[in-house]
Amino acid sequence: MAGILELEGLTRRFGALTALAGLTFSVPAGQVVGFLGPNGAGKTTTMRAVFGLTDLDAGIVRWDGAAVGESQRRRFGYMPEERGLYPAMLVGQQLEYLARLHGMSAIDARSATGAWLERLGLADRAGSKVDALSHGNQQRVQLAAALLHAPEVLILDEPLAGLDPSGIDTIGDVLVQQARAGCCVLFSSHQLDQVEDLCESVTIIDRGRLVASGTVDELASSGQRRLVVRVEGDREAAWVGGIEGVTISEIDAGAARLVLDDAVDSQSVLRAAMAAGRVTEFAFERRRLSEVFREILR
Amino acid sequence: MSPAILAAIVAVVLVLRLWRRWARRDRTAPGKPSWSDPFSSDVALVAAREMRERFRGRIFRVGTLFILAVVAAAIVIPTLNKEKSQPQRVGLVGTFSAQLRESVVSTAKSVGVTVDFVLETGAQQARSDLRSGRVSLAILDGRELVVNQPIRPTDGSAAAQIVFALAVNLGELEALQAAHLTPAQARELANARALPVKSLQPGTTRGTTNTTSLIGIILIFVMLSQYNTWILVGVMEEKSSRVIEVLLAAVRPIRLLTGKVLGMGLVALAQASVIVIFALLLAKSVGSDLLHGTAPMVLLSTLVWLILGYAFYCWVYAAGGSLVERQDQVQSLALPLSLPIIFGYVMALTAAASGNASPFFKVLAYLPPTAPFAMPVLVGLGEVAWWQFFISAAISVVCTVGVARLAAVIYRRAILRTGGRVKLRALLTRAGGNS
Repeated sequence: MAGILELEGLTRRFGALTALAGLTFSVPAGQVVGFLGPNGAGKTTTMRAVFGLTDLDAGIVRWDGAAVGESQRRRFGYMPEERGLYPAMLVGQQLEYLARLHGMSAIDARSATGAWLERLGLADRAGSKVDALSHGNQQRVQLAAALLHAPEVLILDEPLAGLDPSGIDTIGDVLVQQARAGCCVLFSSHQLDQVEDLCESVTIIDRGRLVASGTVDELASSGQRRLVVRVEGDREAAWVGGIEGVTISEIDAGAARLVLDDAVDSQSVLRAAMAAGRVTEFAFERRRLSEVFREILR
Repeated sequence: MSPAILAAIVAVVLVLRLWRRWARRDRTAPGKPSWSDPFSSDVALVAAREMRERFRGRIFRVGTLFILAVVAAAIVIPTLNKEKSQPQRVGLVGTFSAQLRESVVSTAKSVGVTVDFVLETGAQQARSDLRSGRVSLAILDGRELVVNQPIRPTDGSAAAQIVFALAVNLGELEALQAAHLTPAQARELANARALPVKSLQPGTTRGTTNTTSLIGIILIFVMLSQYNTWILVGVMEEKSSRVIEVLLAAVRPIRLLTGKVLGMGLVALAQASVIVIFALLLAKSVGSDLLHGTAPMVLLSTLVWLILGYAFYCWVYAAGGSLVERQDQVQSLALPLSLPIIFGYVMALTAAASGNASPFFKVLAYLPPTAPFAMPVLVGLGEVAWWQFFISAAISVVCTVGVARLAAVIYRRAILRTGGRVKLRALLTRAGGNS
């Protein structure tokens, strides 16, 4: 399974509100891609557009170079933000039904349902009604519904919301495993630390536009370099004052976090620190994704 | 009925040709709701789910049993009043000629009753048997009739009728004997029969037909109300539970909707067929009049119009369900939607009960919203020709196609719009889109 999901120039207006303003990005197969943005950025509208659940004023969604239509969508898996299952239908029957709507045979649908319920720790709940399950288990069933037909593209809107740590681990493992198997995985989340742990790359949008895109490593190491320097006995980091192009971002328990301009040689900073006293810590710091996010959207 | 069968075949062929034409046109217009090939897998899957969930529900099973019980009562109770039951026991005291005995038997037969004779030892014994109810009446020496309680002239029971008839006949017999006629003359007189009265118009079993019409109208009303409500609530629940997003990620809206109304319609057809077959079998086994006159045609037309009525209204209710997402919104919508059904039902009940169809009522039989109620009544009253029946059915089919297309547009535009009741005007006047 290999391919690329391309979203090109997606535009959607609701009256005076522009939800998507020519949004363009792509999601390669074999990666878990985090889809980030503040509330109202247009994430849900984008995901729904992939499934034809919202009409577009302009733009096109392509899978493997071809415009996405009904037959392609049947090979996609979707977990909507507002979970949707028949509350009074039995879990097993419901999953088999949804799998068959995606084109599976009755036998395949049954075996896939059994396998995914087993994998997600719900093997004994196939005969339960959906509304008899806990929130976390309903979320697992919803994920199973998106996965049963072995989709080529998996799009999940806030799949981690409201889950306990074990639920997050389970769903995270599944997403990574799907990507390793060649699936194209795009998921939105506000839990940036989890996104950083799970994703190879992220796409950040704001007000319906793309604002950043790349691997987590690229984004974390982009921008100005950051240094953490600790000089024994020095709590003010007054020695930094004399170095051009270096500013103190914060001082935390004797460790000074420094932001270096591009032209600054880190060795000159080390020499200045050594001149001020005994250096006990000197390290480049990777930015957390949450910092990148805040910085980009500032 | 051969012209009717011919017309039915022509109608089916026409519908299929129209369907194929639309199907061809849809294939050439990508992106538009497709009507072609409605029985392909996803439509069938949706229909099968509807049927399974409906058959599984307790309301369906209990409701079916309840309707069967009501139908059984409507068929069996009238037959109980026929009293072709017990033979009447007649006590005999004193002399009793063979002629007299023959006269009693034939008199009883003429009022539809058989008699058993009880030989009493005397008048005392006869009175005692009358009081205990062992005999219904006693004949003393062929000259006197004795009963326990006085009988009113209006009493229609078998015992009363035989007493009245015997009083007349035995009196005549006594008069004949007093006239000293020859036995042959006496027999001639005794065998006198009322002249047969012939009518110019053929006889009908209008009473029975009216009963059948009433049962049919009530059946159509109950089933249309029930299944339409299920469609309304079913569509609303898919919207409010948000399962609709998961479904529409795999199935096109029109196919989901088609599967839903098809599945529900098959459940309705199955239930109605069970009820009609049950009614016919029960009527046959208890000897009800349901199988006489135009009653079987009324039942058949009830079934036809149940299907046509469902086909027309199901789309209206499905579109209605897509506009709402809460129970209270359903209730406020259900009343206006049901007004034409209630109107047709009341008009049909009135016409069936009075046995008269006004010109206005005949017009209602050609309007698709009221035809399911009015047409079976006209069939029952014998006031409609087969070609009129088929014209009305054809109008209904054509209008159903139009209503279905409009409903599909409304459904597609409204089903994904959440956060309050969707206004129909806003949906149809502006280019509809999903939020």
